[in-house]
Amino acid sequence: MGLLSGLARGLVRGADRMAEWTSKRGSRTFYKNRGARKTGVLTSSGKFVRVREMVPELVVPRLDAGFKLKPYVSYRAPPGMEEPQTPHKLFTEVVAPQIEKEIKEGTFDPDNLEKYGLERSQEGKIFQLYPKNYVR
Amino acid sequence: MRLTALLAMAARVKVHPDYRYGTSRPWTVGAQRMNPPGKKRRKVFVEPIQPEDWSLFKGDTVEVLAGKDSGKQGKISQVIRARNWVILEGLNTHYRYIGKSGEYRGTYIASESPLLVREVALVDPSDRKPTQVEWRFTEEGERVRVSLRSGRILPKPVVQRRDGVVPEQWKDGPKDTSPDDALEKTYSASLKTFEEEIAEATGVVETRAGRRTFWY
Repeated sequence: MGLLSGLARGLVRGADRMAEWTSKRGSRTFYKNRGARKTGVLTSSGKFVRVREMVPELVVPRLDAGFKLKPYVSYRAPPGMEEPQTPHKLFTEVVAPQIEKEIKEGTFDPDNLEKYGLERSQEGKIFQLYPKNYVR
Repeated sequence: MRLTALLAMAARVKVHPDYRYGTSRPWTVGAQRMNPPGKKRRKVFVEPIQPEDWSLFKGDTVEVLAGKDSGKQGKISQVIRARNWVILEGLNTHYRYIGKSGEYRGTYIASESPLLVREVALVDPSDRKPTQVEWRFTEEGERVRVSLRSGRILPKPVVQRRDGVVPEQWKDGPKDTSPDDALEKTYSASLKTFEEEIAEATGVVETRAGRRTFWY
């Protein structure tokens, strides 16, 4: 809280030092960004070149045909019983059946685990898992 | 100065470890008057009761065992866990004036005083006498309160919502998703990331990979 504890209430003088210094305050020449990111590159001649990959594009599902979800949820709905997805569960659901099938057929290859989804390094991938190189 | 102070009051109140909890909740004006920042009061020692052993809920009928109204039964209207307090409706009251202004002395009302959980006992619904209560599990695995004297289960009291909505009788509006649609499981586990799945679904083919980055 911005209360100056030393002074008596009602006799507080001076500007509020604890208030946020935003772009709305300051003179006409004062510029401060409020968090919007650049959508292109400023060239040496002073022209701003828009880069399409830096412009955010919203990918939205089709809301007209067969989309049953609405903005609000009914009060009658009970709290869901879904457990959070863990890596262990993901492996058990997706990779383990494949490996079991291949072991039964006899084609399991422990040297070629890439075909079950193992990624030894994130290099060369567009959406790397670490470091997170894209905005979610 | 005063605007930021006002906005700060609307935000969640941060409470220091030796905060003295009173009958007013910490975000109210009365509590802030009682506990201005910088005020230190003698520490109140509170019996430590584990959250899983707490058996008194708002709306329960309890009997008072000690104090002015001992022997009477009442409904719990408020529970203050920080001090092991329960406030019953209309019991353990003292009288005071509220709304005093100028020369008007105010309205004379009865205000309830809190009782400690040890001074109060849950009432067994079968014989309406105070009992000790224990937490046990049913056959289905549900955790319930059981009266030690008669073995009867004490159901958790159903408290009406402040906005008056009764979930069982709610009629869905045009912007409400029905419960079946909300609980439908449409997730299929796959090793693709969310972005890769969407790229595949929308037919986006991206062959360029990003620049090589390093992290430490």
